[in-house]
Amino acid sequence: MKLRAIVARARRGLRGDLRLYLVAVACLTVAFVCLGAALWGLENLAALHDRFAGPRRLTVLLRESPDTTPARELRAALAELVEVRSVRPRTAAELRDAFLADSALGEGLEALPADLFPASLEVTLVPGIDRERIRALAERIGRFPVVEGVETYEGWLGGFDRIVLGGRIVVGGLALLVLLSVLAVVGGTIRLTVAGRRAEIEVMKLCGATDGFVRGPFLVEGAVQGVVAAALATALLAGLYVLGRDALDATVGALTGGRTAFLAPWMLVAMWAGAALAGAVGSAVSLRRYLTV
Amino acid sequence: MPATQLSDTRRGVERSESARPSSRPFPFFRAGARAEATAGSRPLLVLEDVHKVFRPDRPVLRGANLVVERGEFVFITGPSGSGKSTLLQLIYRRQTPDDGRILFCGRDVARLTETSIPFLRRNLGIVFQDFKVVPHWTVFENVAIALEILAMPRRLVRARVAEALERVGLAGRGGERTGVLSGGEQQRVAVARAIVTEPALILADEPTGNLDPALAVDVLTLFEEIHATGTTVLFATHDHSLIASRDHRVVCLEEGRLVEARRGLRGWHERLRVVGGAA
Ligand SMILES: Nc1ncnc2c1ncn2[C@@H]1O[C@H](COP(=O)(O)OP(=O)(O)OP(=O)(O)O)[C@@H](O)[C@H]1O
Ligand SMILES: [Mg+2]
Repeated sequence: MKLRAIVARARRGLRGDLRLYLVAVACLTVAFVCLGAALWGLENLAALHDRFAGPRRLTVLLRESPDTTPARELRAALAELVEVRSVRPRTAAELRDAFLADSALGEGLEALPADLFPASLEVTLVPGIDRERIRALAERIGRFPVVEGVETYEGWLGGFDRIVLGGRIVVGGLALLVLLSVLAVVGGTIRLTVAGRRAEIEVMKLCGATDGFVRGPFLVEGAVQGVVAAALATALLAGLYVLGRDALDATVGALTGGRTAFLAPWMLVAMWAGAALAGAVGSAVSLRRYLTV
Repeated sequence: MPATQLSDTRRGVERSESARPSSRPFPFFRAGARAEATAGSRPLLVLEDVHKVFRPDRPVLRGANLVVERGEFVFITGPSGSGKSTLLQLIYRRQTPDDGRILFCGRDVARLTETSIPFLRRNLGIVFQDFKVVPHWTVFENVAIALEILAMPRRLVRARVAEALERVGLAGRGGERTGVLSGGEQQRVAVARAIVTEPALILADEPTGNLDPALAVDVLTLFEEIHATGTTVLFATHDHSLIASRDHRVVCLEEGRLVEARRGLRGWHERLRVVGGAA
């Protein structure tokens, strides 16, 4: 009942200052589109990162074929380690065939010699092992005479890690900026409407309204501005995504070997909730000094 | 019905259709406050040695004293700048006195906390020279806001607002935008808003100041009709013709003090009673 009264008064307020609110919502929508797009880019980058980095792998390059006794012993020893999930031997010929099958170039490469690719063991590690332990492990494995070298893919993944981390920082900063702009825009809008509705506030206070009673509708109006802008931005981004998805998957997807995804539901919920909260807070802050009647 | 409700403190005032305990669902000053049992027999408003200074060289109130009984109609007059508005503002706590006490229903208004002020104001009906109606609201909305603040159910609000509009002569005009009404009509809306909660005390700060003389008399008559139903009215004005046209009690602000200028009919009645009793 009380909430309904607040919403009814907020509706009256929204109707009264509709033009002003539309301008504010338009500004906020642009801000949220930027934020949403950045979040989307980061999400897909992170997904890509996880796909490559997911179960960490080591490639143990061998001096001999995996069928020889020293190589067998190494395999058995590796399989015993707690860090290791599985070990798969790959002969030089296998590797060459796999390369030829993957490669679009196909013919002409068939002449490649079989020993171009060294025989190796593909070691898949259990998840959650940090870089330090992987390095130590690689070093231990490297001491076996049969091992020519151990590839940890560290340099490559490290670079990727840095890109994703950088992306996270940029998007975090952007989110903060958008949040601040929501506060500022909503605060400014509410300040303008409050100035126009001073008489109203004074009347209410003189009739015995508590600050909470006066504030309620303004908070709702601020939150509505935020949510409407976030919803519009979501709709806009979703529309763009649906339109551009095929083209994206054909180019970016083909390069990275996966399909792109839209913003995760929790991200949308967080964005909407943040927008509502920022709107309400911006409203409360700019209302404060008008309440002393 | 809890003892904290104001209707308690108004016991003894005969009112034709005001016996509506359920229509006053709010506590007097603050939830949990207890009204003294004797409140009903005490004056509604008492000012004791009230001081108010804005600028040290020109104090506005310098020891103002006043006792207003329940059901009285009191004109407050005095030259412009003498402090009439200030006096009323002290009662509805827009201002706080520098010294002295202001007892409304036996409670010191000056010592109310910030959170209790709304509850004080719910027991007052305030009318201003500049109407203070919201022009882009309808007439209904302007009157209903006073009841919405009390969280009264919609159905009841509609009935009470219709009744108040009828009392001020605006029956059936609730749907009109207030801003397009004439000055006299807007002031009627303000009066309807002030009386719709059936307050114990009406404070009117030059309510006729912006109206032409004929309308001024109309609005004064409106206040008198409200007074006739038992509501206490404090009417600040510097319009002497208005004061002279009636025989209510008159209190004059002179040099920061309140001087009794005319006892009014009530006073005369009392004196007659005393004289009659002595004879
Ligand atoms: N908030 C304030 N701050 C400073 N001075 C004030 C304030 N309110 C009133 N005053 C001063 O107090 C004095 C009394 O003002 P007040 O408005 O009470 O007079 P008044 O009797 O209502 O006059 P009028 O008949 O013109 O309405 C004036 O000198 C005014 O300047
Ligand atoms: Mg004045």
